[in-house]
Amino acid sequence: MEFPFYTAAICAFGAGITGFPFAPKKLSGYLYFVYALGSALFGAAALQTVYSGVQTSLSFSLSGVLDIAFRTGGLSAFFALVLSILGFAVSVYSAGYMRHEDNASFQGVFYGLFLMSIYAVFYAGNMPAFLVSWETMSLVSYFLVVSDSRNDDSRKAGLTYATMTHIGTAFIIAAFMIAYAGTGTMDFEKLRVLISTKPVSLRWAIFVPALTGFGIKAGIVPLHIWLPKAHPAAPSNVSALMSGVMIKTGIYGIVLFSIYILGGAVASWGVVLLVLGAVSSVLGVLYALMEHDMKRLLAYHSVENIGIILLGVGASIIFQSYGLFTLAGLALAAALYHTLNHAVFKGLLFMGAGSVLHGTHTKNIEEMGGLLKRMPWTGLFFLVGSISICALPPTNGFVSEWLTYQSLVLGSTAPAVYAKVLMLLAGTALALTGALAADCFIKAFGISFLGMPRSAEASGAKESSRSMLAGMAVLAACCLALGIFPNFVLATMGRLEVGSLPYARAALSGNWMLSVQNGFSTLSPIGILAIMLSGLLALLVFIKGLGRREVSYGDSWDCGIRRLTPRMQYTATAFTKPLRQIFKRIYLPTKEVKIIYRLRPFFAENITYNSGITPFFEKYGYGPAVSTVHKAALRIRKLQSGSLHLYLGYILLTLLVLLFAWG
Amino acid sequence: MARNWLQAYSVLDFIAVGMLLSVIAVSSQKRLESCVRTYVLNSWLLAAFVTVSAFYMGMPHLYIAAALTVLSKCFLIPYFLRKVLRQLRVTHDVEPYISAPLSLLAAFALVVVVFSFVSQGVFVTGVTRNALKIAISIILISLFVMMTRKKAITQVIGLLIMENGLFLAGFSLTYGMPIIAELGVVFDMLMGVIILGLFLTQIKKAFVSVDLDKLTTLKG
Repeated sequence: MEFPFYTAAICAFGAGITGFPFAPKKLSGYLYFVYALGSALFGAAALQTVYSGVQTSLSFSLSGVLDIAFRTGGLSAFFALVLSILGFAVSVYSAGYMRHEDNASFQGVFYGLFLMSIYAVFYAGNMPAFLVSWETMSLVSYFLVVSDSRNDDSRKAGLTYATMTHIGTAFIIAAFMIAYAGTGTMDFEKLRVLISTKPVSLRWAIFVPALTGFGIKAGIVPLHIWLPKAHPAAPSNVSALMSGVMIKTGIYGIVLFSIYILGGAVASWGVVLLVLGAVSSVLGVLYALMEHDMKRLLAYHSVENIGIILLGVGASIIFQSYGLFTLAGLALAAALYHTLNHAVFKGLLFMGAGSVLHGTHTKNIEEMGGLLKRMPWTGLFFLVGSISICALPPTNGFVSEWLTYQSLVLGSTAPAVYAKVLMLLAGTALALTGALAADCFIKAFGISFLGMPRSAEASGAKESSRSMLAGMAVLAACCLALGIFPNFVLATMGRLEVGSLPYARAALSGNWMLSVQNGFSTLSPIGILAIMLSGLLALLVFIKGLGRREVSYGDSWDCGIRRLTPRMQYTATAFTKPLRQIFKRIYLPTKEVKIIYRLRPFFAENITYNSGITPFFEKYGYGPAVSTVHKAALRIRKLQSGSLHLYLGYILLTLLVLLFAWG
Repeated sequence: MARNWLQAYSVLDFIAVGMLLSVIAVSSQKRLESCVRTYVLNSWLLAAFVTVSAFYMGMPHLYIAAALTVLSKCFLIPYFLRKVLRQLRVTHDVEPYISAPLSLLAAFALVVVVFSFVSQGVFVTGVTRNALKIAISIILISLFVMMTRKKAITQVIGLLIMENGLFLAGFSLTYGMPIIAELGVVFDMLMGVIILGLFLTQIKKAFVSVDLDKLTTLKG
């Protein structure tokens, strides 16, 4: 008999959610281990589903028309696996992180509901189930974003997030309604069968609103504005989940609809996704460079990585439309692999940021510095995450971005000229993104962990608790494991019956060596690791054995000033100044100098200097739209006088009008 | 035998018209106490209407509905209303925005409008031809009463009468609702009146009077 993984997992979550309000304050942290157990069980269940190929389904009817159905299909299982890895690590981390929060039981309950609702989104088998899960996820995450309700910023961030996510849901509902009107079914599997006989115009009509709705959740530029606001406002364990998995529900929706349900054979969809992906990745990393708030910086990097994932999805659709199924499978595998990897390293980085926040009580990297000596483990794990997100070997980010590069370069084998050009351009954008990301993380790691402490908080920082470090260690290990042994992941993905994924195994041959398209290009992560390790060893031998024997210690050279202060260090703003100059057409930097003179022009009393960049999308897109809505609302508001009698009058008037019209 | 007699003298129409007249009376009354009394009369008439049509159509479960109506609307709710009135010490003065003759005229106009615009076609149950029109008139007049009175307690009475009208309308469109729905509605009414009573005492506490004009200050 098979072990009932799903039942056990749901029971574990139920126990956690109901347990939190009753747990004594001291013990409530341990309940997060129950969530960790639940996530692990869900992960085991997903693996079982993928490897046994047996789909489990569950459905119950709400009324004559509405059914709620859940199904454990291939794509669902993969995304659930991603969530399980992250959910496990973040739950372990939360046990320590949440110990000092004052509304611990509220956070605990909502944290559990949040995880559960994301699982429900991935497993939803028809439209009502999907929408209910989706809305639950959005609302629960909203409450988690505003959980620090005394903070004015977090309330504003919550409002932005709630507004954006509901606009997104409206678009998704529109897509569902069009699909239902066109085919008469709410079930995803039946829809998939029925839609193949319908004209392309119907598929377009579903694709556009679905892309918009899911794009808002995923944070595609220019729909990304909620990400850099909501992620910093939420507690770090929640932002790890939001950035790691919740925005992936958008990717899940896009892949589910464009490739799985609608067949994905329309080349122009691929073009749209490719362009959006390229723009998102470049702009995401450019804005990240200008951020000095650790969590906002990471949030912008999520925009970037969503862009990279979309590059893979878009390339896959273009290949599929030209019948190049192996390449389509390769590109989709790259995209899904990057989805998994981004979840792992972004979760790790957000947890690291949370750990730093705990130690220093600041998110501003300009106030950090020298943290590596005070928080060595956090520093190490953050470094692993940084290397990963910069896509350097031997970590996981490298493998998936390499695969994405390969599929874009192989775009030159596509029959259409525009596809060749576009894919190569997208590859260029990816290269630019990679370089800028590396620069950004040199800044993020260097300014905050190296050098001298720039504030009293930073110099008094303490290492985080053991469970927090354990959570980060799990993901750091995953970063390395997924980077060194990609074959296991790719073999798992080859079993998913989604789009051209089964063909990906033909494109990727070899056991310890990844060989794309029968030797078009090869990669051996283990080999790279071996070379790096031997190089390191050789360096050590050189330094210890052959280098200068006598070592004398002294202060750094200080130009004769005699004492170096933290204020003399390179700042994050200064570090990114060259890029601000190069990309000034994009950043539109602003500078403001105010001088108050005692005696003009020689004796200045007070000089203030402000510099920043123009938030382009807020200023020219969302700002005018919001103020228009505000004006209209003020005008309508005159109807609302506050007099009960007038309101009753409105009702009477309406009734009479209805009577006249239809009496 | 008795059924023929009922039909020949259109007893049901008489009862329904009685309800309408009592509502029109409410629109011109000045004392709150008499408003409550008229509401009780209205409820008795409603119960009578249900009883008679139960007998006429031979549907015994409607007797339960009638009994429930008597119990709740003729005894419990008026008892509670009077208690609230005593607590608030506002037995007199309805304080309408417009004079009594004018509201009589308006009520009259509403009845004319309803009778001329509700088409003849709506005639489902065969109980009586006029019940639906009368019910709609009652609803509109009570809404009008709620609109033109200052004291919050009149709003409650208006709402209760409107509920009677709705009951009549529902009854004339269906053969009486299932007993479980009736029970639910009655329970809702009781709860509603209790909650409104609490609200009134709170409004009195907060604003010193129960005039709804003061509520405009709540607007943000």
